Amino acid sequence: MKTRNLFFVLAGFAILAIMPLFLTPNLMNAVIKMLIAALFALAFTLAMGQAGMLSFGHAAYYGLGAFAALHLMRAVEQKLFGFPTALIPLAGAGVGFCFGLLFGWFATQRSGVYFSMVTLALAELLFTLAPTWNSLFGGESGISTIRGASWGLSFGPDIHVYYLTLGWFVISAWCMWAFTRTPLGQLALALRDNEHRVRFLGFNTHVARTLIFAISCMFTGVAGALLAIANEATNYTIFAAGASANVVLQTFIGGAGTFFGPALGAAAMTFFARVTSDLTRSWLLYQGLIFALVMLFVPNGIGGLISEHSKKLKKGGWTALVGPYALCLVVGLLLVTGLVFLVESTHILLSDSYIAKTRSAPAGQSVPFSMLGIVFHPKSPTTWAIPVVLIALGAALLPFTKKLTEGAWLKATGTEGSKA
Amino acid sequence: MNAPMAADHVLELKDLRKSFGETKIIRGVNLTVQRGERHALIGPNGAGKSTLFNLVSGHYVPTSGEILLNGKSIAGMQPHVINRKGLSRSFQITNLFPRLSVAENLRISVMGRHGYRFTMFRPVASLKAVADEVEQYLEKLRLTRRRDAPVSDLAYSEQRALEIGMSLATNPEILLLDEPTAGMSREETAYMVELIRSVTEGKTLLVVEHDMSVVFTLCDRISVLVYGEVIATGEPQAVRSNAKVQEAYLGEEVAS
Repeated sequence: MKTRNLFFVLAGFAILAIMPLFLTPNLMNAVIKMLIAALFALAFTLAMGQAGMLSFGHAAYYGLGAFAALHLMRAVEQKLFGFPTALIPLAGAGVGFCFGLLFGWFATQRSGVYFSMVTLALAELLFTLAPTWNSLFGGESGISTIRGASWGLSFGPDIHVYYLTLGWFVISAWCMWAFTRTPLGQLALALRDNEHRVRFLGFNTHVARTLIFAISCMFTGVAGALLAIANEATNYTIFAAGASANVVLQTFIGGAGTFFGPALGAAAMTFFARVTSDLTRSWLLYQGLIFALVMLFVPNGIGGLISEHSKKLKKGGWTALVGPYALCLVVGLLLVTGLVFLVESTHILLSDSYIAKTRSAPAGQSVPFSMLGIVFHPKSPTTWAIPVVLIALGAALLPFTKKLTEGAWLKATGTEGSKA
Repeated sequence: MNAPMAADHVLELKDLRKSFGETKIIRGVNLTVQRGERHALIGPNGAGKSTLFNLVSGHYVPTSGEILLNGKSIAGMQPHVINRKGLSRSFQITNLFPRLSVAENLRISVMGRHGYRFTMFRPVASLKAVADEVEQYLEKLRLTRRRDAPVSDLAYSEQRALEIGMSLATNPEILLLDEPTAGMSREETAYMVELIRSVTEGKTLLVVEHDMSVVFTLCDRISVLVYGEVIATGEPQAVRSNAKVQEAYLGEEVAS
């Protein structure tokens, strides 16, 4: 069991290490952003998943890490002093940790919703302060710089940035994993379960929570610094509440209860956002739908689903699941395609440009629209029959699929108890 | 009463008072717990027993009066400070870390006592002294077989045993037990009393308990709390025959 996990982790890192050989520049950039998002989510989970501190303001430490890195890079660029580019994330770590201690000291005086609100307020404070504070945050346009060469590397091409990011990701992820094994990491789990009791066992829980929060902010700062290195620029929008919310969503989709789940969730959602935001303006709607569906049907997230399978599946049990899961996929695709058709066609039909076209068209004549290069007629019944049939078919198959999958799950695990 | 022991007070409450707004809950409690004794605190519902425990363990700050632990004031101190000074408590409602295993629960208690509170540069598994002590407690609590089970999987009586073990594992000079047999069957209660006796051998105890048979078999002395005041303290026989106590609280239950 343990060795199998190790095998998967090592295999994952091996794939990441050789990946650049096969990536287009655009995809390489995407993978860099996925790694950064994954690191951010892991750092967030250190406070959230382990110590139960749901921070709604982690963008603060992400942004501060980014600005710290940029200022250090600018100082190097202006030859004030030398500093190796590969170690620039240390600036993010330091600043993240210090502000984590400072802000955390206040936020951790409270628990639950009140803690979340204080963290949100502190991040919003930075968000409103930053655009007016020119010298530090570069006003509304932000600050930019370029990566300097060091250690015989130019850090110009993306591949250098890729390995720099991967290196920091691996080191940070290992540190955070090791942290869970230390006395303080164990205490974090106890704090998550029952802070009240910890206090009566001789621990100063305020100090413990501040420290754990600050460590989470430290790795968040590293992620922010890596983003700054990759983009060579940032501005005040990095502090936005949306950025704080994003890491919360990604972590829950990934599964806050597992160690690597949040990293998977963040990587997947970052990739999803990158692909869909180019294709459609409704991508945020789809992202929200994914979150809602995951919370409703797989509350333990992707990571929870994987660990459930690895724990409960009998040897060779997966053979029973292949068929039902393929059917699940088909039914899912039917429903998704139908829904996407409806959303996208509505989006087109209600757009200003389409309405303008109908005005200029002769009265009573429908104006065709095109999606994915296919032309549809809005007044033709066949157009609307497509999504209706897709959704009806999917919905009709749903109960059967559910029953089949549940049966297969029981067979594959050899236990009572249903899935998810 | 034993004269030489009387001088050695582990815990002493002097004219302790606590009000919530206008409501006076604890109205001048005087109480001493001697080293090595098992002291019961009984009283009808609403007498203020839980409030008194919360005051002594640092959950509430007293309105006035003194709480002395080994002769030094601990009134108004934070719970974790009081715990480190040698006073530990258990809870009436089981208060554990449900997602950790039995051994991990105990390890939290033990590692704190060994001073590994915020250690973050060595794995907890490498702390041999902590691991050994956890095993000892598991054995004492008869939970060795269940060491790796998540606490949420334990039977109720096992959870209660662990609840007491957690408080005990911080190695206090005085242990406060809040209704250790609450919600237990007759057999479970008998088992629990016997377990408490064996695990707290030589320890000073202050026990809140409703079950009179538990009080009379487990404890050396009894204090009766009624309406925020201690109306009687003494050995079980003396308290049993005290007219004031019979009138206020015990009634037929004791007379029989």
